[in-house]
Amino acid sequence: MDKFQNIENITFTIAFILYMVSAITHLFLVTKLAKKVEPIAILTALAGLVLHTAAMVARTAGANRLPFSNQYEFALSFAWGIVLSFLILYRIYRFGAIGAFVMPLAILVMGYASLQSKAVRPLMPALQSHWLTFHVGTAILSYGAFALACGISIIYLIDAKRTGDHRILKDPEVSDMLTYRVIVFGLLMLTVVIISGAIWAQKAWSRYWAWDPKETWSLITWIIYAIYLHLRLRRNWRGKSAAWFSIIGFISVLFTFVGVNILLPSIHSYAT
Amino acid sequence: MKRTSMKVLHAIASLKVAIVLLSLIAIYIVIGTLLPQHSAPEWYLERYPALGSLIISLSLDSAYGSPIFIVLIALFAINLTTCTVLSLKGQWRQMDSNYYPSFKEDEFTIDIEDQDTVHTFLKRKRFRVERGGDALRAGKFRWGVLGATITHIGLLVLFVGGTIGNMTASEDVVNLLPGNEKRFEEEGFLIRLEDFDMTFDDKGAVKQYISTVTVIDDDGTETTRELWVNNPLHHKGIGMYQASFGWTGNLRVTDTASGEIQAEGLLRSGRTYFHQSSHLTIYLYGYYPEMAIGHDQQPVSLSNREIDPHYAVVLYEFGNPVGSYIIAPGEAIPYKDLEITFTHAVAYTGLLVRSDPSYPVVLAGFLIILLGMFVSFYCYPRFIHFSSGTLRTASRRNGWVFHHSVRSALERTQTRKNKED
Repeated sequence: MDKFQNIENITFTIAFILYMVSAITHLFLVTKLAKKVEPIAILTALAGLVLHTAAMVARTAGANRLPFSNQYEFALSFAWGIVLSFLILYRIYRFGAIGAFVMPLAILVMGYASLQSKAVRPLMPALQSHWLTFHVGTAILSYGAFALACGISIIYLIDAKRTGDHRILKDPEVSDMLTYRVIVFGLLMLTVVIISGAIWAQKAWSRYWAWDPKETWSLITWIIYAIYLHLRLRRNWRGKSAAWFSIIGFISVLFTFVGVNILLPSIHSYAT
Repeated sequence: MKRTSMKVLHAIASLKVAIVLLSLIAIYIVIGTLLPQHSAPEWYLERYPALGSLIISLSLDSAYGSPIFIVLIALFAINLTTCTVLSLKGQWRQMDSNYYPSFKEDEFTIDIEDQDTVHTFLKRKRFRVERGGDALRAGKFRWGVLGATITHIGLLVLFVGGTIGNMTASEDVVNLLPGNEKRFEEEGFLIRLEDFDMTFDDKGAVKQYISTVTVIDDDGTETTRELWVNNPLHHKGIGMYQASFGWTGNLRVTDTASGEIQAEGLLRSGRTYFHQSSHLTIYLYGYYPEMAIGHDQQPVSLSNREIDPHYAVVLYEFGNPVGSYIIAPGEAIPYKDLEITFTHAVAYTGLLVRSDPSYPVVLAGFLIILLGMFVSFYCYPRFIHFSSGTLRTASRRNGWVFHHSVRSALERTQTRKNKED
């Protein structure tokens, strides 16, 4: 095992542990068992992200390319995107409680990554393109945003049954608007993912669209979120229904990422 | 009459119709991903005894080309076009500089006494400000209301491009050995494969497939270029893509007694050669550049590097199998008065040749969609009203976020002003 792989393994493991500590601390925060733990929850998430970044840098150095080309590498980057999105949102709006629902998602994706083969494989000819970085990079941002929206929607559904100080976020209107804001960003990024994939496919395989299961499920996810936005903007569709729609959208994201690879034969099968 | 036709148009353009159509399209394409496509009708009847006939009658076996799917897309395009045209009038009105939405009395308000701070903030943020006594009104990104329309136009351009592509695109696979040529009669040029090469990494995996091709125009102009996966060659509207490769073995049939070579030529894996004088059929079952024996006792190749090459050959006489062999290059199979050898292997390239005049239209559709979404999400119209120490924000798209950003920016402006004072 080379030194980069050693560094990657160590930093990955510590980041994973720190994320777990952060998620547990966040749970204490939202269940009001301990009220002053927010700084610990955020700092452990931040420290985890720093080590997670180190793991990705080590992977990049060891493989001589960005870690974007198989299920392990994409899951590693996806979890990174989730935590980064959460911390950016925290920096802007200071809603630490969201971490109680977002950090477990990051842990879930990290756990999935740890089950995949970590072997560094050379890029197959179709993946040797500058479009890989752009296509997968935007997918990480998009999926990260949708995970965040899912977490905030769960908060909305819990808060809808509570009143006053018992709520996780004081104003459910805020979580509703934040979900919208984050989905808007995720959908724009998903559009870039689909379009960059189409342009790349045209260059590599002569067809911008081939109804491959991965691209088709990306389109289905796009349609789900497009319907969400239309209902919201034109029909003022808010509240519980919008929150459920956001969660369904994220299930579609997860199926596009994991389910398609496991269940459906695809030209994206190298992403295993 | 006019009122009735407008009612019909509004019904066609309604969001309800759009959602129903989008949901049906989504369901259809989900089925298309779950159900194996383009198999024989008998296969569906046998695999799905209860649903087989329904699958075939609804063309779910070729979901994306089925009449139902095409009709759904066409209806959605009509819905989108009608909706876009009907919304334009209202959007045009909202772009007028005198247009302001109604500001809610008790929602999205900020208490601020200093009108100068508000004015400085609005100017710095490039709002168009109107003063009326001690009140201020300001608006920004009024044209952003067109975002959804631009996105819809992009989708329609994409549909037009896709339709043109379906009607005009043509595709073919051309297998070429070094020295082989392929002529494109209508376009007036031919291509000749000069060389085909595979490069490998340390572990034996293929790094790249490279075809060196000379394009010769009818006027005699010659250009030589390399093409590989992700680096296609385009000439006179034809795109050539590195798509596949295969192996041929150089077959030699020799008379054992005289040493005379009776036949020699390249034979592709999976193909046969019929040696007429002896009624012998030579079937090259496969070529294995790095041969090993698999779990099922069948030959397999560990990689495409020619480390330990072998040929699997089956001989037939009058249609009956007479022997199967695994031989190394140059190793002879004696058969009656003949010797059959494969001297060496030559790789051939598989180029996918495609002409699709719709791609620039599709690309334009993509870019318009992106532009429209960006405008819609980030350049949405924003309005501010200030009077009697109360500032109100209004934005149909993103009310709370806009309000939050105005509040934060005003606090920053106030802090800066206090420091300057």
